[in-house]
Amino acid sequence: MPNLLEFEQLKKSHEGSPEALLFSRVSGALAHHDRIALLGSSGQGKSTLLRILSLLDAPDEGDIRLEGVSCAKINPIEWRKAVCYVAQQAVMLPGSVEDNLRTVHHLHRIPYDAPLVRRLLAQAGLEAIDLGKNAADLSGGEKQRVALIRSLLLRPKILLLDEITASLDQSNAQRVEMLLQEWHRQEGTGMIWVTHQLEQAARISDVVWFMGRHTLLEKTPTKQFFERPETELARQFLNQPLNRGELCLS
Amino acid sequence: MSLLALSFTIIFIMVTMLVSVWQKLGLEKDIAIGTIRAAIQLLLVGYVLQFVFNSSHPLFILAIIAFMIIVASSNAAKRGKGLKGIWWRVAIAISATELLMMGLLLGLRIIEPTPQYIIPISGMTIGNAMVVAGLFLNQFKRDIHASRGEIETLLSLGATARRSVQDVMKRSVKSSMIPTIDGMKTVGLVQLPGMMTGMIIAGADPVEAVRYQILIVFAFTSSAAITSILLSTLSYRQWFTKDLRLRRIA
Repeated sequence: MPNLLEFEQLKKSHEGSPEALLFSRVSGALAHHDRIALLGSSGQGKSTLLRILSLLDAPDEGDIRLEGVSCAKINPIEWRKAVCYVAQQAVMLPGSVEDNLRTVHHLHRIPYDAPLVRRLLAQAGLEAIDLGKNAADLSGGEKQRVALIRSLLLRPKILLLDEITASLDQSNAQRVEMLLQEWHRQEGTGMIWVTHQLEQAARISDVVWFMGRHTLLEKTPTKQFFERPETELARQFLNQPLNRGELCLS
Repeated sequence: MSLLALSFTIIFIMVTMLVSVWQKLGLEKDIAIGTIRAAIQLLLVGYVLQFVFNSSHPLFILAIIAFMIIVASSNAAKRGKGLKGIWWRVAIAISATELLMMGLLLGLRIIEPTPQYIIPISGMTIGNAMVVAGLFLNQFKRDIHASRGEIETLLSLGATARRSVQDVMKRSVKSSMIPTIDGMKTVGLVQLPGMMTGMIIAGADPVEAVRYQILIVFAFTSSAAITSILLSTLSYRQWFTKDLRLRRIA
């Protein structure tokens, strides 16, 4: 059985300056039901990698395959229905909260499952939200959670989550984690989750991908990564004062 | 106007030259070139029109209209710099607008099928379509940059190119039509339009001149709508790559 998602030898330079390498020789595979935490210092190209995997950006070199089929042979609309990117900066579409939640229904004629929406909203701590409210008036954290639920309603095979709890307080961030863990259990959705919160990475992933030195340096089971990382750079990353402090809390 | 009276108008140029020399603006050369070009271009147009009016041959009329469309398309297409094939799309939008407007005006016998009517009214229609096309391209470019997040959010939810820019297109079409609609609201109050003024100076009955001006103003709103809607439909796909990524065009 082919991997759910595979990518080989991806290379990407900074936009507008091809000589400035962002990353190269980036290869990886996501099996069905895999949950990956994508870690690394800022500027390593983690968000760009997610955007490339969702076909929003093009790599300079390399190939991506979904269940063994190259992205060149799949209609990008079908690809994105299967591989959904949730951005760090949640963007609300014009209209009400409900209009936003109905986006997938309008785009693909997928039935709007109102009980499911209510359940997801409650799990995300948004049970009291006014669905008729203008989505642009929501707080940053509310927008982020509505955007996540909007994407879940697409029922993609893979979710690419780009620091989706960055604008949430701790309790709401944990609610979102629990929501996604339950969703993963029920739907089997594969996930690649970019986060800077190591505790969160430890909770939500089975495997850690670590980016450094312009490449995907390490792919290690989560427990092992935090106990015995394979590379010196990952060790240094975990030992940074900020990260060490966070890990001590766990 | 007698040739003597016309020659006196050189006084206006001399005043401008004197101001330029006095204030050390350094515009004397440009003023001289502009004066000579304007005089030669207008005199040539006068002779060409005289020839075409006398011959009344449809081919000459078509050649003049084609020339107008080529110049107008080249000018408006500059606003879509970086978009592949934009010249043709602008040319098609302007030509279709001209064809439809003339078809209606001649078909409904609103104007007579003579070069005296067809050429000036075509010039005004094409000129207006050129301005609207340029405004649309300018606005669309600005709106796409500003709404990149919104467009990519829709793309990541599996939207088609058209659906992802639909709202942006609507906003840009509206913006490009506003000057024409505003002009219609204030015509006669703020400014006396050129054609009406020209007819009155040439000795036409002011009420007759106003009738033609109403025709032009109404035709302009319709041509603005046709040009911008057609151009938006023809050009939106140029903002996307073949595999449906939103281009970055400076």
